[in-house]
Amino acid sequence: MDMTKYKAMFLSESREHLQKMATLLVEIEANPQNSASLDALFREAHSIKGMAASMGYQQTANLAHQLEDSLDHFRQLGQIDSATIDRLLAGTDLLARLLEDIHADRTERSTAAFLAVPIAAATQAAPIAAPISAATLPQTSEQQIRLSLHESIAAPGARLLVLLKQLESLGQILACQPEKNRILSGGNYRKLDVRLKTSVTGAEIKERLKVYSEISQLDIQEPKPPTALGAAMAGSTTVRIPTELLDRFIHLTGELMTNRYMLHSAAQQKNWLSLNEGLGQLARLVKNLHHQVLKVRMMPVETVTARLPRLVRDLARTSNKEIHLELEGSGIELDRAILEELTDPLVHMVRNAVDHGIEHRGTIVVRAWRQRDQVMLQVADNGRGMDPQALRRQAVNKGLITPAQAQIMRDYESFQLVCLPGFSTAPQVTATSGRGVGMDVVKAAVEKLGGVLHIESAPQQGTRMTLKLPLSVAILKALLVRVDEKLVAIPLTRVLQTLEIDSAQIQMSGKHRVFSHHEELLPLVSLRKILDLPNPQAALQISVVLTEAFGRKVGLVVDGFAGQREVFVQSLPAPLDHLKGLGGGTILGDGSIVFLLDIQGILERRRGGEPKV
Amino acid sequence: MAHRILIVDDALFMRNMLRDIFVGAGYDVIGEAENGQEAVRQYQQLRPDLVTMDIVMPEYSGIEALQDILAFAPQARVLMCSALGQETMVMEALEKGACDFVIKPFQPQQVLEVVARVLN
Repeated sequence: MDMTKYKAMFLSESREHLQKMATLLVEIEANPQNSASLDALFREAHSIKGMAASMGYQQTANLAHQLEDSLDHFRQLGQIDSATIDRLLAGTDLLARLLEDIHADRTERSTAAFLAVPIAAATQAAPIAAPISAATLPQTSEQQIRLSLHESIAAPGARLLVLLKQLESLGQILACQPEKNRILSGGNYRKLDVRLKTSVTGAEIKERLKVYSEISQLDIQEPKPPTALGAAMAGSTTVRIPTELLDRFIHLTGELMTNRYMLHSAAQQKNWLSLNEGLGQLARLVKNLHHQVLKVRMMPVETVTARLPRLVRDLARTSNKEIHLELEGSGIELDRAILEELTDPLVHMVRNAVDHGIEHRGTIVVRAWRQRDQVMLQVADNGRGMDPQALRRQAVNKGLITPAQAQIMRDYESFQLVCLPGFSTAPQVTATSGRGVGMDVVKAAVEKLGGVLHIESAPQQGTRMTLKLPLSVAILKALLVRVDEKLVAIPLTRVLQTLEIDSAQIQMSGKHRVFSHHEELLPLVSLRKILDLPNPQAALQISVVLTEAFGRKVGLVVDGFAGQREVFVQSLPAPLDHLKGLGGGTILGDGSIVFLLDIQGILERRRGGEPKV
Repeated sequence: MAHRILIVDDALFMRNMLRDIFVGAGYDVIGEAENGQEAVRQYQQLRPDLVTMDIVMPEYSGIEALQDILAFAPQARVLMCSALGQETMVMEALEKGACDFVIKPFQPQQVLEVVARVLN
């Protein structure tokens, strides 16, 4: 049998099992008597072994077998010690590297060195012979089959029974609605809903049932396993889509086509009333379609938080701290493109919490929640917190801000100082946080996604870093502003406020123009200047977009505001994508192209790459 | 080679009708039986690819014959024939291993459709 077509599935499922193993190992370490977790752990290793052996990946299968064997031993023992967990984690790491080898079509690396040392003294597994029996089982998946019979069909109960028999011959029935017994006892049923564990695909099942002309409706889909998408993300960019969703697309497409004809005829007849009605309908349909398409792109936050327990455990051990990690809201969904970009920032924030937040023992909470059309992702610790005074001092010492700036800086603003490149409050470089990547990278990554980073802290009360993220990158709300007769768009998430100020309110501070806003002096930056456009004619009223960059509020002077709207952002083709400060482009209803400003980038450009404001 | 069919029904009319339907569609009708016991005997002798089995027959019912045939040849394909309103009996037969069923009065197209998918 040609197994190569199963490779992607093997990799994605194995990664999923590995991830679960790592999570479980950390759990067990915290709670060594938990035999249920040990059982689960054993099953995960067993699954990997079975899959790897059937695929013919000998080294992977051997290693998984060894892990499974030793886990079986500990399962009987009822507990497991910390040193062994280290060994088992090393084993899962090695498995992960083996999967990388397989993914890259390399020969599997040798596991001999690892296997030479028994995982625990009492267990030494003999290498397994290939192929092992359990492994010859074909790959199975679950399929949800829903069908209904034509109204006119005679003996529908018996028909359902025949269909049920047919499905039974394809695999194992996990659930059946109505139950077989009820059909047998003669209820009047015309619908059947079956969950089938099978090695055949949904399309094959459909083909098999096609000959039964009594079926009026048939719907087959693979139920989405909660974490399968996440595992798939690690290696490839495929997503599993419930067929139900595809059906809805088709349905919507059909409605759009109907709508098109309606608009067409309304336009021909110059019937403005029905044209208006049609446009209203079109707006609803497009909104609905957008909503459905977004669903395809959505993945649970879990896909990026699942690795954190292991990370925190390792960090805690090396730094000799006692750290408890809590994950909340892992099921909240976000655009996959955003999640992919969040992986590193999240890891970095958690590292910071371990390194700089928690002193000896404490809790880190990573929580996600929805707030209207945004997703909040927060890393909170109950550690030592940050001292605004110390932050200001350090920033001045490093020449990042002037003493005068430090003086007028509010406490909440001072926390943003940690996002300045070259700022670090850690007296020495530690192995975990290291040097180089700092909060500036986190902030830049978040802002690139159209998000905002908020930092709250108080001495001895811990630190909360909150990312406010758009649900999706492709379509976002933008503020259109006019500058020199042109329109540009600014992501609404980057706009704190829009203001009309009197030119009299503008003051000079050194060479810079500033204005007073709620008793704060904020710098004013002209968008025309940045874009090398001619100076505007002097006006009494000046339109200002209040935004934030590098942890400071900035007033961006524009010619005027042209409203908000939802825009579909397309990335710019090369070489335009190299232009700093442009975050993409969008086409307006009248066909004109509008560029989306990347605030952070554009202000950097103004400073010649030196991010000081 | 054409599939070989054994027809079991106590009514000659039904047997003839089924024979015409099958022969007309290119099947080989290799035997006819008018009761359950005869059906079992013929099955053992002829080993047909498919048996059409009337459920209600005097003395030895179609369900009893079905069980005997399956005991002898578990892979046997037995198609039950039943009148409207005999659903519980059909279900019993399906439970006991019949592969499918058709409802009298026969509609040739329907019968052939079921036979085709059973034989496939």
